[in-house]
Amino acid sequence: MNIEFESHGDVSVVIISGSVDGLTADDLLKRLQGYVAAGNLLLVANLAAVEYTSSAGLRALLATVKQARRGGGDLRLACVNANVRKVLELSGFTTIMKLFGDVDAAIASYAAPVRP
Amino acid sequence: MSDALPAATEFHARSMRDLGGVLAFVDRISAELDADTAFSVRLAVEEAFTNIYEYGYDDHEGPVMLRIDVTARRVVVTLTDEAPAFDPAEAPPPDLESAWDERRIGGLGWHLIRHVMDEVTYAPGGKRGNVLKLVKIRANGQG
Repeated sequence: MNIEFESHGDVSVVIISGSVDGLTADDLLKRLQGYVAAGNLLLVANLAAVEYTSSAGLRALLATVKQARRGGGDLRLACVNANVRKVLELSGFTTIMKLFGDVDAAIASYAAPVRP
Repeated sequence: MSDALPAATEFHARSMRDLGGVLAFVDRISAELDADTAFSVRLAVEEAFTNIYEYGYDDHEGPVMLRIDVTARRVVVTLTDEAPAFDPAEAPPPDLESAWDERRIGGLGWHLIRHVMDEVTYAPGGKRGNVLKLVKIRANGQG
């Protein structure tokens, strides 16, 4: 798994690639929590290159969503591939997280007031 | 490949630290499978393996034997451990509906396993432990 960080004005895009599993989820969680703690509250995770996630990955996403929303921000997902979307849907995550077809739409969504 | 002559192979784990070896083992076997089947098998193995160590062995070490049989029609995953008996049918139901600030992750593993695999069979081990059998019908399976 690889993680890259890009700043787009007030919105931060985290580009994740590879497998988010029990081997990598802790690293992902630490990086995401670090971004939020540093004040990057409006996050978009670009998951175009994530081909796999297990419940370990969901744990990292959920913890980050909670942390960001409690600070007045959010973590939104973009470019979720079919298998990862299936895991999110089966786990009931599509009712609490916002998913977007592309990164630009996810960034633009923050132009509206944040109402988690 | 005939269903009567499955290609079987085994991986013997001792602790949660073997997850990397387990996933590499699954990926090597899955190389010949279609993407959807490979995804389902990897997810089911990771969730079951993690549950055995987190709950069965209570974060301690213990033996887990993972066996994967691939035939033309299906993939059969067998996980054998020596942890206290636990029937996954007794796993607590996952929280799929709470609001974000009250949402919990617990119980998702078994929920995901049941959804991505076609059969989940549990049996107590011979003298102790558990035998979990997970079957996935291959998307392009014949016959």
